This record gives sequence, structure tokens and C-alpha cells, in this order.
Amino acid sequence: MSQSRFTISDPRHSSIRMWVGVILIALVFSSALLAPAIAPSKTLIWPVPVNLEAINLPPLSGGHLLGTDLLGRDLLAEALWGARMSLVIGIVAAFAAVTFGGVWGALSAFLGGPIDTIMMRAVDGLLAIPNIVLLLTINTLLTANPFLHSFPDWTLRFLKVTSFSSGYLPLFTVIVVISATTWLEAARISRSKIQSILLQEYIYSAKALGIGVIRMLFRHLLPNAAPVLLVEATLLVSDAILMEAGLSFLGLGLGPSTPSWGSMLTSAQSSLIEGNWWAVIVPGILITTTVVGVNLIGEGILDSQGGKRQAV
Amino acid sequence: MLELLLRRCLQAVPLLLILSIITFAAMLSLPGDSVDVLVGNAQKDMSPLEIQVLRQEFGLDKSPVEQYILWLSNGVFKGNFGRSYKDGRPVISIIQERLPPTVRLVAIALILAFCMGVLWGLAMVALKQTRIGKWLEAGLFVIALVLYSAPGFWIGFLALTMAGRMGVFEAVPLLAVHAAGSPPVNPQAAFSALGYVVLPALVLSLRRMAKIALFVRTATLNELTEEYVTTALGKGLSREQVLTKHVLRNSLAPIINLAGLSLPSLLGGSVLIETVFAWPGMGRLAVESTFGRDYPMILALVMMYGALVIFSNLAADALELMIDPRRRDAYFAEVEGAKP
Repeated sequence: MSQSRFTISDPRHSSIRMWVGVILIALVFSSALLAPAIAPSKTLIWPVPVNLEAINLPPLSGGHLLGTDLLGRDLLAEALWGARMSLVIGIVAAFAAVTFGGVWGALSAFLGGPIDTIMMRAVDGLLAIPNIVLLLTINTLLTANPFLHSFPDWTLRFLKVTSFSSGYLPLFTVIVVISATTWLEAARISRSKIQSILLQEYIYSAKALGIGVIRMLFRHLLPNAAPVLLVEATLLVSDAILMEAGLSFLGLGLGPSTPSWGSMLTSAQSSLIEGNWWAVIVPGILITTTVVGVNLIGEGILDSQGGKRQAV
Repeated sequence: MLELLLRRCLQAVPLLLILSIITFAAMLSLPGDSVDVLVGNAQKDMSPLEIQVLRQEFGLDKSPVEQYILWLSNGVFKGNFGRSYKDGRPVISIIQERLPPTVRLVAIALILAFCMGVLWGLAMVALKQTRIGKWLEAGLFVIALVLYSAPGFWIGFLALTMAGRMGVFEAVPLLAVHAAGSPPVNPQAAFSALGYVVLPALVLSLRRMAKIALFVRTATLNELTEEYVTTALGKGLSREQVLTKHVLRNSLAPIINLAGLSLPSLLGGSVLIETVFAWPGMGRLAVESTFGRDYPMILALVMMYGALVIFSNLAADALELMIDPRRRDAYFAEVEGAKP
């Protein structure tokens, strides 16, 4: 360090990082899309057959590229089907959160005054709870038994709930729980963006024309805040995937019959005692890869927008 | 300074109130109340009058607003947040048992994350300056990125099994973890104050450590583009001097603020890490009460976590004001300006 000049970040590096992210995510997506071709199955729930004669097989043995888990399910097939579930949860939860949070923040900024204060204080209050604790609390509220019975019939039919199977209900609950936890940050971001949009002249003209609240929100405010919200949605996908894994780990996720990376990790935990480490490694690496990819892309978009740089 | 702290504390009160209203309303909206849970199936053997009397005793016949005020005044003035549905013990005494282990775990994790994260970040900036170090820096960057993105509990149980298999616990007693069910601290252990806490705290801190390292790296690299750096170098100062005396001091305030704001995510992470390491803290209590639908406990825990986070944010804020005279002056100017 004797030179009198500093080497600082090379702007080219940030585009390289973004491309690495895009490639990682493309790999994960294509594997999720290819799941039926590589590991055929009729149902989304319990798509990978149990084979108790081939439990805990190590990788590259007996035609199992990645080995099998404690129930003899092929890990590759599980990982591919799990990719679908985890990505569906991540993307749907992130978009639900950003939509709700975006509208909440926009309404709050647009209405202003005491309503704005109340709406944003509620967000601040909920943000003070660590997200896993909030996740647990909302899960308690949503899965209260009588609450489920108050669902109208058609929703239960839509979710394929029958007397012997809960169908897509766990998936639905997990998505609602995750988006109910993550919309807060989106609401804050949306509000601050909308507040700056509200100072623009075309908003004054729109107001002068006597435009309605709904039209104002969906025609003028939200479309202009969309780029910022899109970045937030990208980053929330990675949060949602991590949260799903955490929920499954605590036993509040999709359950062992539906392969997602989270539920794979959960069942792998009990096979770890029998020395089956590969069943733990596979889903963990997949989660990490996806989250790294999403974070790199999110950071890349932030960079290209010249937004305030976060640490990844 | 004291006035500033007091002012901030007063600002925290309405936030806590709002939090309590939201959670109380959510819990109240659930079907069934504490009498249903206490009496359970015996309810059909009881006369409606008896149940009515019980409800009156619990104050459940009052309006929701009255119930909330009753709950709040009992909680704030008598420290009575009701009884756990699980074993009928007062919620507050269970939390008193579970709070110290969590505080110990999270505090050590916070110290680890801050110290090692800052060192890691600065090491990356320093390594970037040399030709061979560039590659090392890239490696450190990728490791930080991976640690930031991996699920903490996954690293937790990998570390736990690997350490167990490789005999790390026998070789390094400091890293030992307690078996499920045994008391959390063994008085005979050589490091009784740190007994069993090091490995869980290290695993808990990893994600935050990586985040702080990446933040320090970006913040310092951005700071290097400032003009005062060129001036300092132009005056003939060495790069070491500029980095440690000028740049670090300027980027320290946001770093300390970030460390203070780490507490919510560390507390959140502790829920999972406590479950992995069978740590008898508040996080596991939260998971247990979720499974047991122990509503009074969940309500009290949410308030407890909320208070911890709100006051730690406050402390981080106050610390930043103390360190950075520019922000302090700006803050006081604003306060003075607000006074008519």
C-alpha cells in the first residue's frame, strides 16, 4: 500500500454480477420447468414415489444421481418438484405483498393527514416485530380452526380440500402468511415514492380535472411507482423462499408430502442421524443458489437505476 | 443529551401502544376465549350461569375496548399479562425465565457480527488494493454473499453434525453445546459464562456478519471517491493513514447504525437457531406457544419483542447522534426550530 491512489469498485463488475445472477436464476427456472420431463408424475401433491427398499442411498448409486432420502424418494426428482413449489411460493407471495403494500403506501401518501399517520404508524408498529415472530403470530391467527370453517364452500373446492386431504390449503396458508409479513417494507417504499410523485405537475392537473381516488391510484400513481416496487418484489422473492424454508423447518410449512426445498430440509434433518448428509446438502444449496441469484439481480437493477445502494 | 434520550423514549410509547392495539384486536378476533380454553369440554356439564360468572371474573363480558384497557393497565402497572393456557403459570414469570438466555445469545451474536463484520469488510477493501489480494477479495466477497443468502438454521444443523462427527466438541470445549433437556449452563465448565453459547451465537451471527461486511465494503469504497480522500493523498499521507484516520471515521456512523438495526433480524433468527440448538430461550417459547395456541403468551411475547426492537432502534439512533456531530447539530436545530 505505498501507491498514492485507491482502487475502487469497477463499474463493469456490477454488470458481471448481475449476469451471474441471471444465469443462476435461469438455471433454477429451467430445472423447475423441466421437472415433469425428468421426473414424471401425475399430481403436484406427493409427486415423488416413496420406495422403502432404497432409503438413504448415497449419490450416484442405483440410478439415483443425487441419492435418496429417508423414505427412499429420489432426491433429484424431489429437488426439481421442490423448485416449482418454492418458486411458486416465492413469486406469488412477493407479488401479493408488493401489490398490497404498494396500494397501502400509495393510499396513505395520497390521502395524507391523520389517515396517513395512522396507516403508517400501524406499519411501523408491525415492523417492530421480528419477521419470524410475526410469521408465527399470523400463522396462529390464520390456522385457527373455526376460522377455516368460515371459508365459503367454493374456496375449499378451489383449493381441493376434501375430508381426507387438505389439498392446496397449506400452500395457500403459507403464501398468505409470508405475504402478510413482508408487505410492510413494500408499503414504506411505495409511500415515499408516491409522495415524490405527488409533487409532479401532471398530478396537479389530474387533481384539477377532478379525478377519482381509484383512477388516480391505478392510472397515475402506481404505474409511476412500478419500477421501484418491481425491485422490491425481486428482493422479496428471496425473502419469501427463505421464510418458507424456516416455516417448514418449524413444522408450519407444507408438510412432508409436498416437496418444497423447505420440507426437504425438514425431513432431511431426521435422516442426518443415520449419516445421510446429502439429503441436507441438496436443498440447502438450491435455496442458497436461488437467493444469491435473486439478490444479485435485485442489486443489479438498483445499480442501473442509480438508486441508493444497499449492501447486496 | 439526556433531553434527547427522553424525547426519543416518549416517541417510542405511541408505537408500542399501536402495536398492542393491533395484536390485541387480532387475538380478540379469534373465536373462543380463555374461559373456553380453561373449561374445555367440561363446558357442557356446567350451567350457563356458572359460565356467566366465570366470564365476569375474567372480565370477558365487557366491551372489547374495556377489555383492552383492563389488559393494558394490568400489564403496565401490575406486570400481569394473564396466565399461560398451557400450564396456568403467569405469563410474565415464564418470560422472565426465558429472556436471559435469549439476551445472552443475541448479545454475543451482535458483538461477533459487528466486530468480525467490520474487520471482514475492511479486510476486503484493503486486499483490493494489492494485485494478489484482489483475488482473495473476490473470494471473501463470494463467501459473504453465500453466508448472507443461506438459511441460518441449515448452516446451524450442518455445523452441529459436522462438529459432532469431527470431535470438535472434545477438542475445543469452548464450542461445546448442551444436549437437549440439560441445564443451559454447566457450573463446572471452564468457561461457565460463555458455556454452550459460542457455537449457537456464531451461527446466529453469520448472516448479519456477512451483511455488515458487505455494507462496510460498499460504504468504504464509496467513501474513497470523495474529494477529501484525494486531498489527503495529495498532501502526501499514506493510504493506510487515509484509510484508518479519515475514511473509517467518516463511514463509521452508518455502520454503527446498521449494527443497532441488526437486532430485529438477530432476534428473528434466534427463533430458528434456538430450535436447532435446543436453547431454552424466548424464541423456542414463541414456537411452543404457536403450536399450543397459547394466546396470552403470544400476545405478551409480541409485545416483549416489539419493546426490545423499538428500544434498540432508539439506542442505535442515539448512538449515531452521539458519534456524528453533524447529525446531532442538525437534530437539535430541528428541535429548536420546532419550538415556537
